[in-house]
Amino acid sequence: MAFSLKYADALAVVSISFVTALLCEAISWLLIYRTSSYKSLRQSIDRASKKLDSLKSPSNKSTPNSKKLDRVETSLKESSRDLSLAKFKSGGVVAGVLIVVFGLLNSMFEGKVVAKLPFEPIPLVRKMSHRGLPGTDWTDCSMVFLYMLCSISIRTNLQKFLGFAPPRAAASAGLFPMPDQKIN
Amino acid sequence: MKKARSNKAQAQQQSNGTSHSKLARYLDPNSSWDKDKLLDTLHWIRQALGLSCGLVWGAIPLVGAIWIILFLAISTGVVYWVYSQRLKIDEEEFGGHGALLQEGLFASFTLFLLGWILVYSLVHF
Repeated sequence: MAFSLKYADALAVVSISFVTALLCEAISWLLIYRTSSYKSLRQSIDRASKKLDSLKSPSNKSTPNSKKLDRVETSLKESSRDLSLAKFKSGGVVAGVLIVVFGLLNSMFEGKVVAKLPFEPIPLVRKMSHRGLPGTDWTDCSMVFLYMLCSISIRTNLQKFLGFAPPRAAASAGLFPMPDQKIN
Repeated sequence: MKKARSNKAQAQQQSNGTSHSKLARYLDPNSSWDKDKLLDTLHWIRQALGLSCGLVWGAIPLVGAIWIILFLAISTGVVYWVYSQRLKIDEEEFGGHGALLQEGLFASFTLFLLGWILVYSLVHF
């Protein structure tokens, strides 16, 4: 199996994405993850989430007290909101790094075909996969599409591997939790 | 010299055994599962499937959008088999089929596309 250099730019895009992901996680660790407020928020979310799961579990024979359930849910939502706010404030630095890197990649690879797609994308995807490229060969891949794939796959798994992934309960609660329908 | 070689062989056997036992522990139906541990296991199984399918299909190569649908079917089928048949999990206790099947899906899909596109581009052109 011989590798050619025709699409070697693809390797450059992947390498830069990987290094950027590492850098972003390092910045996040420095500004967010190592702080005591973040650690305590995570712990309270994990505790509340486990409590909620055990109260709602089908194997729980006793009927859960509705007030207790509401209390735990409210506590979970508040902690999740605080966690999101804490990350939001420091996330601006990470966003700045990502914008700079994207600008750099754009200037390096604008108008260049960095890879070949083994499928023809649907028209909606073509807007990204064929962005800035000449011609109508839809299997030509632009830097933007490859960078997007790298960002999502590498960053998600790196966060998970390093243990920096947001708690699942917080991910579902969100920054702006919906008002409790029972109260309304 | 012979004793050193046999010690080395023993240590290697132990480390192989340890890594096999780690893998076996993650697929052991008798071990206790909490939600996070189960979802993490399913996440990494999906990522491994995504990466290996992408690399293999790029190398063969398999060309056409139909292989995307096939990958999604295989990936979902394997994850379903792992939690329902191998681990014999009651999905209701862990958020239902939806929660278990969607864990790691998007990341593994993008990883699959990345591997497939990279290998296809680098090997066949």
